[in-house]
Amino acid sequence: MKKYLLRRILFSLFSLLVVIWTVMLLVFSLTDRSVIFQNDDTWNKRSANERIVYEYSQYQRYGYLEYVNYTSYASNKLGNGDAYTEESNLIQRQEGDAYLESATVQQFIEEYTAKGYKIVRLDPIKFSSGRTKGQLKPGGRGFLLAVRERPIIYRLFDYLGNLFTVETTNDVKDPSLTDRYVRFEKDPYSGLFAIVGSGTTHKYLLYFDSRFPWIHQNWIHLNLGVSYTRFRGQEITGVINDPSGDLKNARQQFPALIGTDQYVETSANFHSATYNMGELTDAEKQQFNDRYTVITYRRSGLSMIENSFVIGLVAVVIAYCLGLPLGILMARKKDKLVDKLGMAYIVFIMAVPSLAYIFLFAALGTKLFNLPYKFANAQVKFLAYILPTISLALPQIGSLMKWMRRYMIDQMNSDYVKFARAEGLSEQEIFSQHISRNAIIPLVHGIPASILGCLTGAIITERVYSVPGVGNLLTLAINGHDNGIIVACTVFYTTLSIISQIAGDLLMVKYDPRISFETKGGR
Amino acid sequence: MAANKKQTVVNEDSLFTFIDHNTIESEKIIAPRYSYWKSVFRVFFRKKTNWGLLILFTVLLLCSFIIPVFCKYDPNENVTNALMFHLSPSQAMAQTGGFSFKWCLGTGALGNSIFYGIWASARTSLLLAVICAAINMTVGIIMGAVWGYSKQFDHVMLVIYNIIANVPYILMISVLVYIIGSGFWSFVFSLTVTGWLSIAYFFRTQVMIIRDREYSLASRCLGTPITRIVSKNILPFMTSVIVTILATELPSYISMEVFLSFIGVGLSASVPSLGRMIQEAQTAFITYPWEFWSPVAIASLVTIILYVLGQNLADASDPRTHM
Repeated sequence: MKKYLLRRILFSLFSLLVVIWTVMLLVFSLTDRSVIFQNDDTWNKRSANERIVYEYSQYQRYGYLEYVNYTSYASNKLGNGDAYTEESNLIQRQEGDAYLESATVQQFIEEYTAKGYKIVRLDPIKFSSGRTKGQLKPGGRGFLLAVRERPIIYRLFDYLGNLFTVETTNDVKDPSLTDRYVRFEKDPYSGLFAIVGSGTTHKYLLYFDSRFPWIHQNWIHLNLGVSYTRFRGQEITGVINDPSGDLKNARQQFPALIGTDQYVETSANFHSATYNMGELTDAEKQQFNDRYTVITYRRSGLSMIENSFVIGLVAVVIAYCLGLPLGILMARKKDKLVDKLGMAYIVFIMAVPSLAYIFLFAALGTKLFNLPYKFANAQVKFLAYILPTISLALPQIGSLMKWMRRYMIDQMNSDYVKFARAEGLSEQEIFSQHISRNAIIPLVHGIPASILGCLTGAIITERVYSVPGVGNLLTLAINGHDNGIIVACTVFYTTLSIISQIAGDLLMVKYDPRISFETKGGR
Repeated sequence: MAANKKQTVVNEDSLFTFIDHNTIESEKIIAPRYSYWKSVFRVFFRKKTNWGLLILFTVLLLCSFIIPVFCKYDPNENVTNALMFHLSPSQAMAQTGGFSFKWCLGTGALGNSIFYGIWASARTSLLLAVICAAINMTVGIIMGAVWGYSKQFDHVMLVIYNIIANVPYILMISVLVYIIGSGFWSFVFSLTVTGWLSIAYFFRTQVMIIRDREYSLASRCLGTPITRIVSKNILPFMTSVIVTILATELPSYISMEVFLSFIGVGLSASVPSLGRMIQEAQTAFITYPWEFWSPVAIASLVTIILYVLGQNLADASDPRTHM
């Protein structure tokens, strides 16, 4: 079993790698990269050469290429004296090939051509007539750049290399910090112990608090990349994980004031403290014991992924609680009215495009029960979850009913059922003790998939009710040409689907000992 | 009495005539004639609902292929005439003077005729479904048959399948549409480039079950070539399986198009499609219900009919129902 599992996991990792690389290859080589500037304000404000250089800087940031600006090269070489000013004037204002005469320029070109960079010269753009003739146009400064494209295979390794980062005591690059450690300490906020670091980016590496799931960590970070357009420049992990909504105040004390009677109403989350590299203000010096003063604030709402998960999980629970008994009932009353009604429902759910019945349900729910339609408009937040949850449960109920009925009927003609009947067991006992337990085996396989599937959200439901969840993320990304999110979604979705497949198989083996992966059955 | 008796004997004898022994005739076995497809249709048409659905489907099919030919759908015909925007059926007909089919379902956001729009879109959806199903089924069945039969091929294909099956289908199609564009044919490409794989996998399992049955083994021992075993021993068993797959595949492509266009990664604006009509009308689904519910109703009607007809045909194509 262990050997099988190991092989299975290794193969899954391999296929995950293949999938990520294929998607990266397709997305980064076949799509037009300039679309990321479509709604970029900075890009719109800049013009001429400065816009082009801004494009290069963004491309570098998103990993498409690497470039070196000659002026920064020259300032490194020559310092900030007159020689540098002369050089930068030469590049920024002199048209034509005059810049090639400078020895530093020649050195620059030689050095970077040898490294495989391509030299890009953007001539200064000047007014050709009028009062301002000969002066630079806005954004018309000249530039000299060395540019190198980054091959996609390197980008893949960059991506995978940065996927997980572990905080170490050498993370803070501050020479004045001499006392670096990671140790257990008593946490004044929870009263329990916490793992506290010094020299790490976060102060509290592992801690407890009153928020679900009660134990939190800042030690290992998952880094799915950066959003390109939708959440310009933000970390995607943060986008899906950070809570939304209003600030949530509580009576708290600053770390340095614990033990005194000075309480403040603040939403600060002191467990999120990170190292402050800048100057500390006087207030900060009073309130904190150390330089870990950068904190985030607690919010009352759920994060995107929590929204999706709550709705999805409740829907899954409803679906299993209703779908399985209904399927059993249909099988028991085969060809009776209940069965026919159930079949009509199944056909409706299976055949009709999902958005048709989701909208139908939205119309019914808002008209008949006066439930809130759009998530953001809801006065009572709890009510806003009802319609999306039910809309999500409906198709799952249908599909569970369908398969449960199918498997029940397949089992009903088995020998063991006839034997049980011959033994004189009641129909009730036969159905609940014998048939349904066998019929449920194939359905057990799907349980991890449906639970983990909640994390990926539901595309249509969330879109119809404007739920701020992760289901909409992929489509937003595709419509906004956000390659960063597309790759992140691929990694996220594919990993979840692989995990749920393996978990489903394991659960099935656990539930039904007759199934084994070790003996070579089948063909 | 005796004469009488003799006469009867003679008469009885004269009733029989000797015929020559015919070896060819004696090989024939008299049994009721059984034609597979005749029985399939006999069972299929025994159900009254199938007749009704079939007639309804024919009407839908004719409407969506004939109306767009004679009445060209032009979404921009009233784009300059703001009086025609968002008109309910009665308003639209009052505006244009009297009853006409063109305005019997009202007008859309740009004064376009909803009635013409839904038929032009239904045509796209049906064409898309038929083309995608044809490609996926053909490739899937051929690959599945080879996959199930050849063991070397099985090893290679299982690796490929296990890699691709890990990627959620929606993700795959969305990314493909995003990359190669959203014209009709690139959409067909995105739906078919990996769509056949799941059909082939399903088919592989079915072929493997039949492949090792005794009669197949016997046939192989007698030296029947593989092509003949596949076409005569295995494929006939697969008819009901094929029809079952077809019954779920055809409506699924229509749903898929609606879904993808709705989330904005479907067909481009130049191709009329049900998904795009629904997407454009979704914000108006309470204020201008006719714009939203007409394409939804057509999409649902087509998929339900295709699904039910397909299921019933699949039931009928199972020889066990031919009693």
